[in-house]
Order: sequence, then C-alpha cells, then structure tokens
Amino acid sequence: MTEFVAVAGVDELEAGEMRAFDVRGVKIAVANVGGAFHAFDDTCTHAGCSLAGGDLEETTVICPCHGSEFDVRSGEVLQGPAREPVETYETRVEDGSLKIEG
Amino acid sequence: MSETFVIVGAGLAGGTAASTLRQDGFDGRVVLIGAEKHPPYERPPLSKEYLRDESSFEQALLQPLDFYGENGIELKCDVRATRIDDREKTVELDSGEQVAYDKLLFAAGVKNRQVPTPGSGLDGIYDLRTVADSDLIRREISPGRKAVVVGMGFIGSEVAASLRQSGVEVTVVDRNKVPLRRVLGEEVGRVIEVIHRDHGTELIFEDTVAAFEGTGRVESVVTSAGHSLGCDFVVVALGVEPVVEPLVGTGVEIDNGVVVDEYFRTGVEGIYAAGDVANHYHPVFERHIRVEHWQNALKQGQAAARSMLGGGEPYQEIPWFWSDQYEHNLQYSGFHREWDELVVRGSLQERSFVAFYRKDERILAAVAIDRGRDLRRSVPLIKSRQRIEASRLRDPDVDLRKLVTAANTRL
Repeated sequence: MTEFVAVAGVDELEAGEMRAFDVRGVKIAVANVGGAFHAFDDTCTHAGCSLAGGDLEETTVICPCHGSEFDVRSGEVLQGPAREPVETYETRVEDGSLKIEG
Repeated sequence: MSETFVIVGAGLAGGTAASTLRQDGFDGRVVLIGAEKHPPYERPPLSKEYLRDESSFEQALLQPLDFYGENGIELKCDVRATRIDDREKTVELDSGEQVAYDKLLFAAGVKNRQVPTPGSGLDGIYDLRTVADSDLIRREISPGRKAVVVGMGFIGSEVAASLRQSGVEVTVVDRNKVPLRRVLGEEVGRVIEVIHRDHGTELIFEDTVAAFEGTGRVESVVTSAGHSLGCDFVVVALGVEPVVEPLVGTGVEIDNGVVVDEYFRTGVEGIYAAGDVANHYHPVFERHIRVEHWQNALKQGQAAARSMLGGGEPYQEIPWFWSDQYEHNLQYSGFHREWDELVVRGSLQERSFVAFYRKDERILAAVAIDRGRDLRRSVPLIKSRQRIEASRLRDPDVDLRKLVTAANTRL
C-alpha cells in the first residue's frame, strides 16, 4: 500500500510557489498550481540542480542552472538540455496537512 | 513535384532544423550534410562533463541513431560541402557528389581560430571543437600531469576548470587583464579570475605565447613576457571564426558570418543561414548580431526551418547561455558590446549576483553567478527595452518580475 508522508501545512505553500522536502531521504519538490499540489523529484535529470530553486510558470518548472523545463504534472521534459523526465509522486491533503507519497 | 531541402552543417542548428521540418509536416526530400563522422550532437558537455568522463557521447546525441532513417532524413556524415552554386542550385561535396536543392539552409557553424605560432605542429597540442578533439584531450588527463591552456574565453575557462577538477596542474595564458574580458568586462572577469585561482589554477594575464618548444612533443610553452612553462600537453582556445568558404562566389553577403534577416533569409532567394554562422538582424537590439551558443543554435534551427516552410515569425529570442566552472553556474542573457554602467544585485565578492550591463539606462544584458532564477527574470527586462532605475535593480526586496510595466513594453 502506498504510504503518505506529511511534509507541511497546506497553507505553508502559496499558489505559484515551490518548495523541496526531504521525504525519507529523497528530495521531492512540490508546486502549488492554483491550489493543486504537484510533487516531483527536486533533482534535475540533466545536471542535478534543485528544481525548487527555479521558476514555476503555470504547470512548467524551469531549472535554475541550464533552463530545462518539465511539466510538473507528468514530469515530462518540455525543453532540454534535460532528456530524461523527472519522477512524479502523488499528493494528498488531509487534516490541513500536505502529504506526499513516500 | 516534391521539393528538396538541403541543410549544410549537421550540428545543433542543422540537426534541429531537419527534425523541425519533419515535425511541421514537410514531406519533400531532406538532406543533412555533416563534416563529422557522427550524427548531430550537442557540444556543451565536450568541455565539461564529457571531458571529465562524467557523461557518455550517447547522452550528447540530439536524436537516437535510427531517428534519421525513420524520418526520411538523408544524413550524410563525414563529408564536407565545398561549393554552393546559387545559379544551378547545387551543393558540391568533397566526395565528388553533387546535390541539387530547392531551398538550402547553411548552418556550417564556426571553426577554431588558428594563430600561427612557432612549434604549433608539435604533438600534445590540442584545440577543442568536436568530440574527436575532446577524446584526444581526455587521453592526456591524469592527476599530477601539467597542462597549459592558451586563452581564457569560455572554452579556455571551462577546459581549465575541468582539467583542474581532474587533478591536472593547470596554467592559463591570456592576453587580457582578466578572463572573459571581452564578453563580461573587468569587474565580472575579476570574479572568474578569483574562482580559478582559489582552485589552484595558475593564471598569467597580459601575455601571449611566443613559441611551443619540445622534441617531437611539446615540453614547454614560452611566452612573450619570457615565462617558460613546462608541460605535458597544451590546449589552445583562442576563439572561433565562421565557416563561410562554400558560399564564396555566390550572391550571399558575407560579413562576420552569413548576413541574414530576422527570418534567416540571405539576400539570395532560397538560401537561409542559422546558428553560429548566422549574422542575423535582431529586432530587440536593432542590429545584426552573431551568437555562438547552444540555445541560439537550437532556437534558430527551429525558426529557420519554419521560415523555409513559408511560415515563421521574426526571430526575437534573447540570446542566453550558461557556463559551469568548478562548483559555479554562470549564466548570461542579452547582447552587449559596450556599456556605460554595471548595476550589481547581490555581491560580486560573495559570488552570488546578477549584474546588468546598461547603456543609456536600458539593460542590454545580464550576467549571473549562482542566481539562475534572477537571470531568467531579467530576460523580460532586456526584451522590454525600458529604462529602469538602478536603485530598483539593486534592491533585493524588489521582485524583478514586477519591474516591467505592460504600457512600456514594445515587444
């Protein structure tokens, strides 16, 4: 069964913002896109930079180091130099806390 | 009758143009001609991850090997276009073959500048442009060996950093006062200088190579100021020049590369140029510019293909590039040659800043070290051509995204 780990209060991450959390040793970024939470590997598949340190434009996260773009919903590469998608994770909101599959 | 589009140059611009033609539905013949043995690949890793043996060549390939066959792209590798005949509309190859075209994209890129120097024919002296070059340098790398890098532009700086990170003892000789002076200026160049010195790289400025010495193989580099630098190998990185020879004798205007408009059209009907070789008109900077970087080749390959298909829009992407040196990520966006003020947000000393090159209060370009987010947020400021107060640019509490006002945005 998939387990969920509480990482923050729902109101700690505003719409349009991203933050990275350590979920059992894996750095996972969460983006708040208009109230919907999308979780994905924080580590860019190109050169390992933290995606949460980049910019979020609607559902696209842009790596701060080399400009690779990923769809936060699917992890798919929208623009290189990255070639490999990032892993995505399920999220859920329960009792006011944000939880990530872990 | 089906048309033939020929692309001369199978680098990032040419390779991207070929795949864009297919993606956008072109069903004529596509011939892609490349001077190297390999299908199109990306060059940024050659001075960085690939040189340090941290990534493979396969990772640098633009497309999987079977892509070209599957998409009906006739890829001709290891063959050079020697002459283009714009009246007969043919391309002559050094294999003796002739290829007729209806439209031609010239994306032959640049070649390394050769500076005649006594002893430059000795073994152990390299330059870097292709994966074959990078392979030769890789073979020389092992901890404790001594290298001299000649020239400290982006390639020289990145090679020096990668060699040093691989345990090589590195000395760099550059004619300027600081690294990257031509592009970044002295203040920012000084920051790069200190980063390299902190990693134990020896830097010699305002000096040039007088001769390479050795018996059969290079053993030392003698500079004009009289230094004699013992070494095991040398990497020369003195910049590049556009490859334009095949166009000589055509009606295509050559001036700092191939002169094209904002649709990548030369003055000759049916001939286009894109990538490093293209001196293209840029509506934001209101002048022709030629840019030798990854994003430029990628975006121009796409845009030129669309233009060849009769569509496309005026190209107004703001040039952008990155350079990774040691643990630092440098990014630059815009285009500037001269400026009257450098406005720094953050700290040069702490190596965490974005700096704006301004002329008449307009931002022409920005450079950042370890501030990728700020750099990205600066691009709209450049594109807007607005005058923005220096105090607001400097203020860390002012959100860069809020500095462009819609009313003043010209583009």
